[in-house]
Amino acid sequence: MSLLSVRNLARRYGGNLAVDDVSFDVMPGEILGVMGANGAGKTTLFSMIAGNVKPSSGQIMLEGQAIQGQPPERINALGVARTFQIVRPFPGMSVLENVAVGAMYGRGRIASPAEAREHAFALLRETGLADRADLPASQLNLAGRKRLEIARALATRPRLLLLDEVLAGLNATEVGAALELIREVRERYGLSIVIIEHVMKALMRLSDRIVVMHEGRKVVEGLPAEIANDPRVIKAYLGERRHAVPA
Amino acid sequence: MARTVFSSVDKGGLTVAASLTGVAALSPLILSAYGVGVLTQLCAWIALAGSWVAFSGMTGYISLGHAVFFGLGAYIMALGWQQIPIVAILPLAGVAAAALALVVGFPALRVRGPYFVILTLGISEFLKYVVVAIEASLGAGGRLLIDTPDTVVLFYPMLGLALAATAINVWLTRSRLGAALRAIREDETAAATVGVPVTRIKMLAFAVSAVIPAMVGALSVLRSTYFEPMQLFSPTTSFTIVTMAIIGGSDRPAGPILGAAFILFLSELLWARAPQTYMILLGALLIGFVLLAPSGLSGLWARRRSASLKRRAVVGRPA
Repeated sequence: MSLLSVRNLARRYGGNLAVDDVSFDVMPGEILGVMGANGAGKTTLFSMIAGNVKPSSGQIMLEGQAIQGQPPERINALGVARTFQIVRPFPGMSVLENVAVGAMYGRGRIASPAEAREHAFALLRETGLADRADLPASQLNLAGRKRLEIARALATRPRLLLLDEVLAGLNATEVGAALELIREVRERYGLSIVIIEHVMKALMRLSDRIVVMHEGRKVVEGLPAEIANDPRVIKAYLGERRHAVPA
Repeated sequence: MARTVFSSVDKGGLTVAASLTGVAALSPLILSAYGVGVLTQLCAWIALAGSWVAFSGMTGYISLGHAVFFGLGAYIMALGWQQIPIVAILPLAGVAAAALALVVGFPALRVRGPYFVILTLGISEFLKYVVVAIEASLGAGGRLLIDTPDTVVLFYPMLGLALAATAINVWLTRSRLGAALRAIREDETAAATVGVPVTRIKMLAFAVSAVIPAMVGALSVLRSTYFEPMQLFSPTTSFTIVTMAIIGGSDRPAGPILGAAFILFLSELLWARAPQTYMILLGALLIGFVLLAPSGLSGLWARRRSASLKRRAVVGRPA
């Protein structure tokens, strides 16, 4: 049985359909890649799954239980955690404290602050931020903040992790390290992961399956090798742009 | 490694707190009636500013409406005086204020920033005029409270409230709830996304921060022996609380104490002799602190202390 099922999901902003009739499944332990140009509706899709945005219509089921339209804290408590494409740390709090908040609430709900702190520190070690634990989060560089997003999401003990462009803006070395990190945490915590990414090569290497979105709709779904050679994907990525330029 | 996170109360701070409390508790034995009065006033402001910090300082939802809780407590005391024992009125005032906070918070806590500030000020002014209207319709411009207890008798419960407010703030620096409140201040959306039940926690903190101000109001009206709604619901109370919290620093438990002591000292020094100078100075100080030292007196102090600790560590290191 799939961990997450999205059925006919749509989100309308005025006359604009940001997400239009999207359906897909995520199997336990799977990494599902989500691809698409800017404005394809990827982040809106994540925001609906995580509860930050209410769907206009459609269903989101976590292990068969409908979760659409519930507040983010309840969805998080059920085991869905997300990162933000435009990172949202708690800037005035220390790096460790940022992660400890996730450990104290979320699905883990560690009651003792000291224990939550220990758990948070272990995650910082894992994500390579341990040496910066006491710094205010505002002093991290972009790569550090992206790692912090992952660490804070992991601290909530998710079953499903939604990663929104955690590789964007990183240099080649950092991308390599981040990919390694994502694989590691999947193994260690038995996570299912949905990952939005622009860096196509990385997504191809990482994903078990890929969903391609274009202008709010799901265009194709398939294995990475299939996706890479699909004419519809090539058209969505390259062909449309040529048409969009007025003559 | 993780020391700075939920700063444990250091032994030095605890000793200072205990000795300050001891001195305060014994001071009525040596002080004049005037001195005890000032000290009672100081405790009242510490309790008020401390309660405000527990909600507004922690969450960043700046309430300009805390005067309404103070006024409500005073009103309940004025209504119940000589009919219900004080020990019953005080908790009653606290519970009533918490209930009012829940009713007010339900709509008000949906908006952030300037909207919340204006809404709390507006609601508090609205309720002030409701009380004025009720009192006017009853044919009373004010209520005289006779046979009220001596200032010395009122001093101890006020000291207790100041201690309670401070204890709450110390606890918040270390607890789960405090971490959630700060996360809400830093980024409410991110907080909700990592599982913090933001609405419930904001309501809870707002209600808690209303309880002590109501009790302070109840005791204060016993001191002034006269209930007049325009005065006891005056927004000046809210403004003074915010000023004290900003000058003292609203991110540390010592902040409200330093802020209240500083402002009260300043007003005792200048208010009677040079009221204009006092207000100008207060305004200038407020601007200065907001621009140059947003973490207030307690922040400046903490920074100096950590700097001197670092210097000592560097000096002490073998070459």
